[in-house]
Parts: sequence; C-alpha cells; structure tokens
Amino acid sequence: MNRPRNAPFALADRRLVVCLGPGGVGKTTISAALALHLAISGRGVDVMTVDPAPRLLDALGLRAEDSSLQPVNLDAAGARRGGRLRALKLDPKRVFDRLIERHAPSAAARDAILADRVYRNLSNALAGVADYMAMEQLLELARAPDADMIVLDTPPAAEALDFLGAPRRMLELLGSRAVTLLSAAGGAMRGPFSMLDLAARAALGAFDRITGLRLLGDVQNFVRNFSGMYAGFAERAAAAEELLRDPRTLIVIVATAERERVAQALEFAAALDEMNLKAGAIAVNRVRPPLPNAAAIANSRDIPASLKAKLQSNLAELAALKMRERVALDALHAALPDGVELLYATDLGREPRSLADLAEIARSIRRA
Amino acid sequence: MTPPRLIFVTGKGGAGKSAVAAALALALSRRRPATLADLDRRGSAAGLLAAAGKSDALATLALTPRAELEAFIHRIVPLKSISKRMLRSRTFGYVTAALPGLEAFLMLERLRLLAGTAALEDRHAVIDAPATGHALELLNVAGGIRGLAPAGTLNRLAVAVEEFIADPNRFGVILTVSPEELSLREALEAARALREGLRVGWIAAALNFVTAPLFSAAEIAALADFPEHARLAEARRRAGRAASDARRALRDAGLGVIELPMVCSAAFDQAALETLGGQLEHGLSQL
Repeated sequence: MNRPRNAPFALADRRLVVCLGPGGVGKTTISAALALHLAISGRGVDVMTVDPAPRLLDALGLRAEDSSLQPVNLDAAGARRGGRLRALKLDPKRVFDRLIERHAPSAAARDAILADRVYRNLSNALAGVADYMAMEQLLELARAPDADMIVLDTPPAAEALDFLGAPRRMLELLGSRAVTLLSAAGGAMRGPFSMLDLAARAALGAFDRITGLRLLGDVQNFVRNFSGMYAGFAERAAAAEELLRDPRTLIVIVATAERERVAQALEFAAALDEMNLKAGAIAVNRVRPPLPNAAAIANSRDIPASLKAKLQSNLAELAALKMRERVALDALHAALPDGVELLYATDLGREPRSLADLAEIARSIRRA
Repeated sequence: MTPPRLIFVTGKGGAGKSAVAAALALALSRRRPATLADLDRRGSAAGLLAAAGKSDALATLALTPRAELEAFIHRIVPLKSISKRMLRSRTFGYVTAALPGLEAFLMLERLRLLAGTAALEDRHAVIDAPATGHALELLNVAGGIRGLAPAGTLNRLAVAVEEFIADPNRFGVILTVSPEELSLREALEAARALREGLRVGWIAAALNFVTAPLFSAAEIAALADFPEHARLAEARRRAGRAASDARRALRDAGLGVIELPMVCSAAFDQAALETLGGQLEHGLSQL
C-alpha cells in the first residue's frame, strides 16, 4: 500500500476533525479515510463512526456488536512511527446511560431516572438525543489521557447542524424556567413566576386532562430527578462547545456532486456561520474520475464491433452523468463562501471494503 | 390492484426518495388528482416537481410539526384566547418538545386525515417521508402514545392511527432502495419492522438506479490492453450484478419490487421524472 501524499489541507496542527452532512453522502467513509490517512502519517487517531456499513467495519477489522474503542491493525498499511488508529461505533443509548450514571447525585436517583418512562422514551426515540450523545462521546474521547487526534463522524443531519446545536439545546431545556417551574413540588411554588408561567402550568394541566396523557406528573418527576445533574450537564455542554470552537478543530461538510446535495452543503455552511462556527472545507465525495479516450477503442482492430458498440454506449451514458455532475460542481464553486476549502474525493466505482480501499479514497482527496 | 390512498415513500438517504415520490405523484395525477406532501422540511420532492412544471391535477403540501401541534391545540382547546396563550408560552413549548413523540404523532394523525380526504375526493396522496430510521420512529410513535395515554383523546386517536397504518386500502409504504449493501440492508430491516412491528399491510420496494451488466467477463478480459476501459466495463458489470442481487434479496424477503432505471441524462428534468413515473405506474400495476 502506498503512503498517502501530504494532506491536501492543513491537518497537521489539528486535534479534531468533524464530518457533517446529510444522509447517504458517505460521511462515515470520508471520516474513516481521513482517520486512516492521519494514522498512516504518524498520528494517534481515534475515529468515531455512526451506523457504519458492515463492510466498513470489516475493512477496519471491527466487531459489529462492540461499541468500545477497538484498535485497528495497521500492519498492512505501512504506518509511520507513532501512528495508530482506534475506532468505535456510537451507541447513543449506552452513552446516555453512562452519562446518567456519572452525574446522578445518588444511586437511588440514578435508578429512578433509568427506570423512568419519560427517560426511556427520550433516550430511545427522541430526535436529537443521538446528536447530543455523539457530542458526549466526543468529550469522552477528547478527555482520554492518550488522546491525540479525533475524527468524528456525525449522525445524518435532517436539519442543518442538529448535532452542533445539541449541547446548547440540552442546556436551554435544563436551565429553562420550565424546568424550575416543573420541578417545584406540586402546588407550593416559590420564586417570581410570571403570569404566563402560571397560565402555562394551568394550560399544561388542562392539556393533560384533555389528552389523557397524564404526563405532567411524570415530566415533573423526570425533571426533578434530572435537575440534580444540571451542573454536570452544563459543564459537559460548555466543554463540547469550546472544543468545536477551538482553532485546532476542523469542520468538514461532506456532500456529493448532485444539485440537491450541493445546495444542502451550502446551507450547512451558512448555518455554521450563523452559529459563529466556521466550515473549514466542503468535501465532495464520489466525484467521477475523468473518462478514458474513446478514440483508442474505436481504432483498435482487436476489439469486436459488438464490444465497441457496448463500450461506446456505456461511455455516452457516463459522459451525460459527468456533465450533470459538472453543472452541480460549477454551482458549488460559484457559491463557495470565502475561506472554505473545496475538496474532491474520487469515486472508487465500488463500495470500500478494505483498508486499501479507504487509503485509496484518502489519497484521492485533493483541492478542487 | 389499486394502490393505497396514501403512499409513504421512504428509504436510505441518497436512494432517491424525493425523486421517486415526485415521479409517483406525477404519474398518479395523470389518472386522478393527486397530492404530494413533503415531510422532509426541505421540500425536495415539491422542488423537483416545480422544476418539471406544475399541473392542476397535482397539489403540493408541506407538513411541519409545529403547524400540526398548533392545529391540534386549536382543536382540543376551542377558546382561541387560551389556545393562543398556550402556544406562545415558552414553558409549554419546552414541555411539548420534551413530550416523547407528540409532534411526530400529530404528523401521523394528519396523514390519517389526509388519506380520509383523499378517499372522499377520489385522489391519491404521496408522502416524501424522512429517511428510513426517522420514518420508522415516526410510524412507531402511535403505539408509544397509546401506551402513554391509557385513555382520553390521544388514546382514541392513537388507536385510529394504528388501524390506519395497518389498512392496505388507506396506507402503503414504498421503500426506495439503491443497489448498495447498506441501503439494501436498511430496506430489508425496515420491511420486517413495518410488517411485524407495525402490521403495515401494503409494502413495496422501488429498486432505483438499475442498470444491466452489459459486459460479460470474457469481454472484460478482452480489454486487457485498455485498462481504463476495462475498469469502467468492470464497474458497469458490478453495478448490473448488484442490481440483480438486490432484486433477488428483496423478492426473497417477500417484497414486490418495482425496478427503476438509472436515468443517464445530463440533467434530472421533466423527462427524467416522466421516465421514472412511467416505470412506477407500470410496476404498481404488476404488483
């Protein structure tokens, strides 16, 4: 396996690379490829993947059912001294449980929360929890004593940057007056609650009765149990935000060369800007390689006419798709915000299934 | 067989859900009026249709959780001054946001109503739904709400929504699949969850990006002097075989399969949508 060329963009002084993007663009592949590239060039890299394809797990030599940090064997990859790669698969539910166990003020509070139906629903199903837990997992990795470089794959963002906003949303929820209001033991409320809060409480009561949900009591319980952990959560959320804003963090938006994905990538970049975060690069995955010369085939005497015709029709189809791709990439080029690097990764023509495939993708990454 | 009144189109990101939903709505609207509803917050499917030109027989609709919550509150709290105050309150907002799945549930309830209206007006409704994982969470939420609310309005609604999802005349799911490992696996898992967990009565797979292998192994071997051409021919052959493997796996899982060709045009335009739409209509009639 060849050594990768020097990184096409400044990775050497980074400590964290975060890959963001919509579902289906290959965020996990790009994350794994970048991580492998960095490990081969001598860094100690931990990569967190979200929902990786079994083939990718195979490529990294990982056990699917294990959600702990597992070492990747780089013997065949010719890594420089000091280079190592470890990978883990995000399991949001387990991370959430660990978080509760760490911050619960007592064993009783911990058990109460873990058994709570609101918590169980929240941690299993509620959109946003996976995002928050990815962030929490990041902190766990970043605070490990032997952490050097972290590459983070993120859950697919339905709405731009659910992931990056997750710590703040959790803080807002936990720190809100709603929580104070709800955690006040039934009836005896202290403090200056506004009329609106009182009205809201009455409204919630009415809502509960009408809907038959009988949830107010449960939410109150949950919040009361949870509020003992507010300080711990607040500290984690603030630390996660700080990590994202660190100048040694590189945010990479992953896209593919399709009109819709390009538009989404640009929306992500704009949304990052609004959060005072900066996209370092947009990486376009699966860019089609240039097409070979058709004339060489046409002039060959060894190739039968029927095969020539097939080759030509295949080439014509690929040329049309290449043209469609060109239009999308031109649009991206034209709208690229200042200071955002544009990177292309070449399409392998197959799904990556080995370390060599990942290394090949990493080597193909280049400035547009 | 007539397709269900409402068809919920989902699949893994990148499999072409929005294009399938738009093409399906376009094709169905040739026979009777149709509604295309976007749940993906970006309006991708409606965007594709707009690019292809509007028709009177085809209405588009964007559904948002917030609007559904507001409509629901106005429905159960008829006094406008109170319902408005509830909705303005941040506290109320936080609690409904924390209420597991309430907004998602109201979205489902909206789909049930949409299917009811469609039956009355003899229309079809096509939903550009979220990607598989989120779509399953959405569909599962009725059961969750029924568990949380043992009686009352929400309980009755939850039971009605569960019946709706299980009724093949009113509700069906199209799983959009690309011939790739992860997409296929996701579709097979989703089909099982839909059938066994949710008792969905009508499920079909739309296998997208189907190509013929075109080249035989011997032909590729004959291209030894032209490695770049050989590589492309090999990729084409692999893609063709992946498509037939995926078709077999989907059929083995008991799914009706509608095959959609890889559209190799320089732009994904009206003609492309018409091509897919024609295939979808033909495929539906063969199920």
